[in-house]
Amino acid sequence: MDRRVVLILSLVIAFTGVLIAVKGRSRPGNVIDLSVAQPAGIQQEPAKQSSEPPAPEFPEPQKGSVAPDFALKSLPDGKEIRLSSLRGKAVVLNFWATWCEPCKTEMPSFVDLQKKYGSQGLQIVGVAMDDAEDKDITGFAKKMGVNYLVLRGTEKVGDLYGGIDRLPMTYYLDRSGKVVDQTLGMAGEAAIEDAIKRSLAQRRPSQSSSGAE
Amino acid sequence: MKLHKIFLFALCAAVLNAALVGVEKAGAQEAPAPQGRVFVEFVSASNVVVSPGHSTPIHFTFHVKDPYHINSNHPLTEELIPTQLHFSLPPEVAFGKLQYPAGQMMSFPFDPSTKLSVYSGDLAIKGVVLAPGQASSGTYTIHGELKYQACDNNACYPPKKLPFTFNVKVGSGGKSVPKARATRTSPHIHN
Repeated sequence: MDRRVVLILSLVIAFTGVLIAVKGRSRPGNVIDLSVAQPAGIQQEPAKQSSEPPAPEFPEPQKGSVAPDFALKSLPDGKEIRLSSLRGKAVVLNFWATWCEPCKTEMPSFVDLQKKYGSQGLQIVGVAMDDAEDKDITGFAKKMGVNYLVLRGTEKVGDLYGGIDRLPMTYYLDRSGKVVDQTLGMAGEAAIEDAIKRSLAQRRPSQSSSGAE
Repeated sequence: MKLHKIFLFALCAAVLNAALVGVEKAGAQEAPAPQGRVFVEFVSASNVVVSPGHSTPIHFTFHVKDPYHINSNHPLTEELIPTQLHFSLPPEVAFGKLQYPAGQMMSFPFDPSTKLSVYSGDLAIKGVVLAPGQASSGTYTIHGELKYQACDNNACYPPKKLPFTFNVKVGSGGKSVPKARATRTSPHIHN
């Protein structure tokens, strides 16, 4: 075989191999793109996933730390409520949704306990992590006899509290805004009341010691 | 002799490159990065062949993993999110009636006094595939999506969409079934 021909042939084969490799790497393999508008709050699930829960993407506030501050719209009046404006009160921060049956089950307990401890400085705050319209959330809260603050949650605020990957999720804050306890999933009324008592037990902080935001 | 070695080396390099690309592609199809908790898995869609102008039944199978349950297609209160199948369809394929199974009436520890209409374990949804009379023969990959919202005995999880794909072959071999109403949108027809 002619030496030149062999040399050229070798170069062509090697070059073709490199081209195939580069092209293969630049093309996404079998990516499913449904191109469907994604309503907020709906998570797209990959075709195959790990059966183990992943490492948390957003860290949750720890006991003893000041709960992250936020400002959210209250329902039904639309007023902006800042969490830090509730300093001096013990706060129960309950993340819920209208489609969450365990959240619904907890609500009567919160209603009773707001009545019982409101005069001692308890403020229960329900943060609706919902895609429903404001009127539907308001209607649902009314139907459940909710007598505490209801705020319209956002994904951004959810991320501040560990991503809120399940509901209900409840944080108990003392009068200085520090996390006293946290419950994942539904809790019984006795456990809720116990956590509320511990939140109320903290004395009101002086002006100088409050605020971390 | 030396040139032969160069030739052999180049040939090996090309083969190795092609093999590496193959491995990479296979990996991309079968092992996407783990992400999120799994509540429902797509198990299968029946292989269907439908002749132009005809229709044929199709079955989809999903598995709701223990210890989770999802709402049925017809939950008992309006706030609960129903399980629904949606498809993105090419012009050559249409879907008729979707038949969701009736939900299992179950109560859970979070409220033992209330029964909910749910699916757990294996979930089979039946449908009818139709090919318009002018449909071109060929195999079409259909993108489907199961929209659901899962809970366990103590908590609920945000609504999710499970994407999946399946093939529909348009050509000879399709069985004629009683005429079903075709739709190219996502049907939500109950039992």
